[in-house]
Amino acid sequence: MILKTLARGPNHGFGIVLHIQEASQGLLTVEEGSLYPALHRLEREGLVSAEWKVTPNSRRARYYKLTAKGRKSLADAETSWSSMAKGVTKVLRFA
Amino acid sequence: MKAWWRRRDPEVFEEITTHLEMRAQLNREAGMTPEQARDAARRQFGNAISIGEEMHRMHINTLVESVVQDLRYAARSFARTPLFTLTAVFAAALGIGASTAVFSVVDRILFRSLPYPQDDRLVSLGMMAPLDTNEFLLAEPYFDWRKHQTPFQSITSFTAGIVDCDLTETNPIRLGCARVEANFLPTLGLSPIVGRNFTAEEDLPNSAKAALLSYGLWQRRFAGDPNIPGKTIFIDGQPVRIVGVLPARFEMPTLGNPDLLVPEALNEATERSGRFLRVFARLKPGVSLEQARAAMQPLFERALQTVPSAFRKEVYLAVRSLRERQIHDVRTASWVLLGSVAAVLLIACANIANLLLARSTSRRKELAVRAALGAGRQRLVRQTLTEAMLLGLAGGAAGSVLAWTLLRIFVGIAPHSIPRLEEAALDARVLLFALAGSLLAGLLFGVAPAVERPHVDSLTGTRSAGSRRTLLRESLVATQIALSLVLLTTAGMLLRSLWKMQNVPLGMQPEHVLTAEFVLGKQGYSQDARLLRFFSSLESRLQSIPGVTAFVISDSLPPLGGARGRPFATIEVEGQPRLREGTGGMVAWRYVTPGYFATLGIPIVRGRGFDGSDRAPNVNSVVLSESLARKMFPAGNALGHRIKLDDWCEVVGIAADVRNLGPLQQSEPEYYVLRKPMPDGHFNNQNPSAGWRGAKVAIRTTVDTRVMSEWVKREFAALDPSLPVTIGSMSGRVSTMTERPRFNAVLLSLFASMGVLLAAIGLYGVMAFLVGQRTQEIGVRMALGATPRTITKLILSRAALWSLSGAMLGTLGSVLATRAIRTLLFEVPERDPWTFSLALPLLLLIALAAAWIPSWRASHVDPAIALRYE
Repeated sequence: MILKTLARGPNHGFGIVLHIQEASQGLLTVEEGSLYPALHRLEREGLVSAEWKVTPNSRRARYYKLTAKGRKSLADAETSWSSMAKGVTKVLRFA
Repeated sequence: MKAWWRRRDPEVFEEITTHLEMRAQLNREAGMTPEQARDAARRQFGNAISIGEEMHRMHINTLVESVVQDLRYAARSFARTPLFTLTAVFAAALGIGASTAVFSVVDRILFRSLPYPQDDRLVSLGMMAPLDTNEFLLAEPYFDWRKHQTPFQSITSFTAGIVDCDLTETNPIRLGCARVEANFLPTLGLSPIVGRNFTAEEDLPNSAKAALLSYGLWQRRFAGDPNIPGKTIFIDGQPVRIVGVLPARFEMPTLGNPDLLVPEALNEATERSGRFLRVFARLKPGVSLEQARAAMQPLFERALQTVPSAFRKEVYLAVRSLRERQIHDVRTASWVLLGSVAAVLLIACANIANLLLARSTSRRKELAVRAALGAGRQRLVRQTLTEAMLLGLAGGAAGSVLAWTLLRIFVGIAPHSIPRLEEAALDARVLLFALAGSLLAGLLFGVAPAVERPHVDSLTGTRSAGSRRTLLRESLVATQIALSLVLLTTAGMLLRSLWKMQNVPLGMQPEHVLTAEFVLGKQGYSQDARLLRFFSSLESRLQSIPGVTAFVISDSLPPLGGARGRPFATIEVEGQPRLREGTGGMVAWRYVTPGYFATLGIPIVRGRGFDGSDRAPNVNSVVLSESLARKMFPAGNALGHRIKLDDWCEVVGIAADVRNLGPLQQSEPEYYVLRKPMPDGHFNNQNPSAGWRGAKVAIRTTVDTRVMSEWVKREFAALDPSLPVTIGSMSGRVSTMTERPRFNAVLLSLFASMGVLLAAIGLYGVMAFLVGQRTQEIGVRMALGATPRTITKLILSRAALWSLSGAMLGTLGSVLATRAIRTLLFEVPERDPWTFSLALPLLLLIALAAAWIPSWRASHVDPAIALRYE
C-alpha cells in the first residue's frame, strides 16, 4: 500500500497517510504513527530511499521515494495480491 | 524521556514532530482550537515514544548496543557483590599469573629449541667415568671414533673448558677462548655472520693461527667493523688472524660463552691422552638415539682397551641428546614446578567454577524474572556469557601483571646454574592458554544455568533451586583440598630438605672469612720466576695486614667442587698392596699454604697441621682427611707413615672431614700438600701449569669484612694494578650451594600457600552458600528446639565430610607426588612422616576455619526471620 502510494511520486510520511485515507475513502484508518516503523523497515530493505526536503509550505520533511527494487517488489506484490484476491473471490462465489 | 530520545535519535524525533504539526495544522484548518488540534493529532498518531523506540531499535546496530547493555548490567551486578567479584578475579589472576610465569620459565628450560638448527638431531657422546660428571673422550679414541663411526652425518669435538687468554694490545683484556675443531660450527648447523669458518688447513697443528670473534667482542672491541676478517690481533703475544664473526645467539653446546673460537689443532700423529675432549655429533636422518648408541658400542669397547684395566668397570658409554646433557639436573625440578603450577591453575579454575555456580544458583530467580519480562533465552545466555568474559578479562589483566612480577622475581632469585633462565620472557601463548582455561571454567559453570530454561517455579520460592548442584560443588571443593594437600606436602618436603641441607655440618667455619680469586695472565707472567715472586710477595703482604688472624693461598676452596682429584688406586700406600681392581673412587686434593686449616676453621684431629718446617726443601709432608686416613690405614696408624703421591710424603696430621662436594653429596676423601717453591724455581705439583696461575685466597679476620676487603684490594693493586681480583665471602660461597634447592622450595611454598588460600576461599564460599540456602530449614530446626551447637555441628559435619574425602584423595596424590620429587630431596624419606603428619592437620584446620564462619552464622540465625525468608 505504501509502495503503491509512493509509485505516484515521492512523498513524506504525512502525505502518505493522507493519500491512503483518501484512496480508501476512509475505510482504512490506522494509527498514523505505525506508518513510520513500516517506512523505515522498507528503507532498510532498500525498497524506498529517503532524503530531507522542504515541503511546499516550507517545512523540512523526510521524503520517501520508490527505488528500482521497490518498484519490482511492488509489481510482485500486486500480482500475488490480485491472484490471491482472485482466488478468494472464486472460493467465495463457489460457496 | 523525551529529551533523552531527542538526543539519541534527532532524525526520528524531527520526522514525527513534523507529522504531528502537519496533522495539527490540518485539524486547525478544520476548525479546532490549537490545543484540540494538537491533542487530536497525538491521538491519531498513537504512542510516539514507543514508535520512536521501535524505529530506534531498527536503526541502531542492535547487537553492539545490547552487548554494551549487557556489559553495563554485568558491571553493575559485580559492583553489587564486590566480595564475589574480588574473589573470582583474585582466583583467576592467581591461576593465570602463576601458571604463565612458571611456564615461561620452564618452557625456556624444557621445550624451547636450542640455538642450533634441528637441535633434536644433535647428540653428546663420550665415556662416562668417575673423573667427571659429564661424558668426555680422550684424543686417541676420538680419532678412532671419528674414522669409524657410522650413525652420524658428522662428528666434532672441542677441548673441554673455556680457557683464559689475553688480548695483548693497547688496553689488554682477559678473554675466554674455546678450542674447536674445524667442522665444529657446520656440525652444529651454524655459520659465521661475517667472514668464514676455519678451513681444515687452519685446524692442522702448527699452522698459522686463526680465530672467530664472538658477536659481543666484535661489537665491544671492534665496533661491529664489517671488514674485520683478515685483520690480525695479538692473543697472548702471538699474532692471530681473524677469519669471521659468530652469530649473536651463539653459545657452546656446554652453555659457555667464549669470546673467541680458535682451532683445536689436534695432532693425530702424536696426541694420545693429553686433553679432555667434548664430543658432539649430528645424527644421520632416520637414525634414532638408541640405534646410534648400539652402533657406537663396538667402538666404545675398543676405546675401553685404552683405559687402565683396573678402572674399566666404572666406565661406560654415554650417547644422549644435547638437550638432555644441558638440562639433566634441572629436569625434575622443572617438571615439579610445572606440575605444581598446573595444580594451582586447576584449583583456581575449580574456585571460579564454584563461585559462578553459587552465583548462578542464587540468581535463578533473577533470571526467571527477566525471562518473565520477555528476555529471550539467547539474551540470558549472552548476559551470563558477558559476565564470565568480563571476569575472565579482569582476571587475565590482573594475572598478566602478576605473571610479569613473578617472572622478575624468579629471574631475580634463581641461581645462575639454571640454564637459559635469564632469557625467559612472558609467553603470550601461555598467557592466552591460561586465560582460555579460566574463561572456559567460567563459561562452563556460569552459563549452564542460563541455558536451562528458567523455570516459573523459581519465581514462586516454594522450591529452593540448586540442591542438585551441591554435589558438584562439594566435589569441586574436595578436589581443591586434595590438590592443595599435594602442594603442601611437596612444599613441606622441599622445605624440610632445604632446612636439613643448610644445617649439614660442613666441617669448617665459614664466618668472618673473606675470599679473593684471581688468575695471572700468561703475558705478564710468562716466566716462572715472576710467578714465584708474585706469590711470595703476596704472602708477605697478606701477613702484614692488621686484623688478619690467618690466611691461605690455595688452588681451590671448599665446599664446592674445584679441588683436584685423582683415583684412589693411583696412590701407593707404604707397606700395603695396591688396589687390584677398580679406581677405588676419587680422592680430592688441594695445594695449600700452611694457614689453610686455621683459616677455614678445620680441626686437626690427630698430629699437626702444616708449619714452616714443612716448607724446607727436602721435606715432603701431607695431611689426610679423616676418611682418607681410615681408607688407607684401617688400623688407625696413619701418622708417620708414608704414601706415594708424586714423591713419597710423610703423613704429619689428620684433619676433620669437610663437605667438599656440596651438602648434597657425600664428601670425597681428601689430602692436602704444601705449596712451596722448589729449588729450581718451580712450584711442586705444578702440572697442569695453568692450575697454579689461578689461586684462591682465604683470609680469616677480626675486622669487618667490608673494611678488610678494601685493604685486601689495595694490597693486590700494589702488587699488580692490572690484575682483576674477585672478592667474596666464604659464607656467600656456602649459601650458593643451597641456591637451587632454595629456589625450588621457595617457589613451591608460594604455590602451596596460593593453593591452600584458594581452597579455603572455595570451601568458605560453598559453606556460606549452603547455609544461605538452608536458612529456612535451620530456622525450622531451631524453632523445633535445635541449639546453636547442634546447628554448627550439622553444618561443620558436612564440611568435614568433604574436606576429609578431599584430604584422603590428597594423601594418595601426595604419595605419588613425593615419589616424583625424591631426587630433589636430601636426607628426607620419600614418605616423611613429619611432613605428612603436619600438612594434613594444617590443611584440615584451615578448611574447618573456613567452614566455621558460615556455620557460626547459621547457628545465630533468628528462627523468626529464617522462617519468613523467601
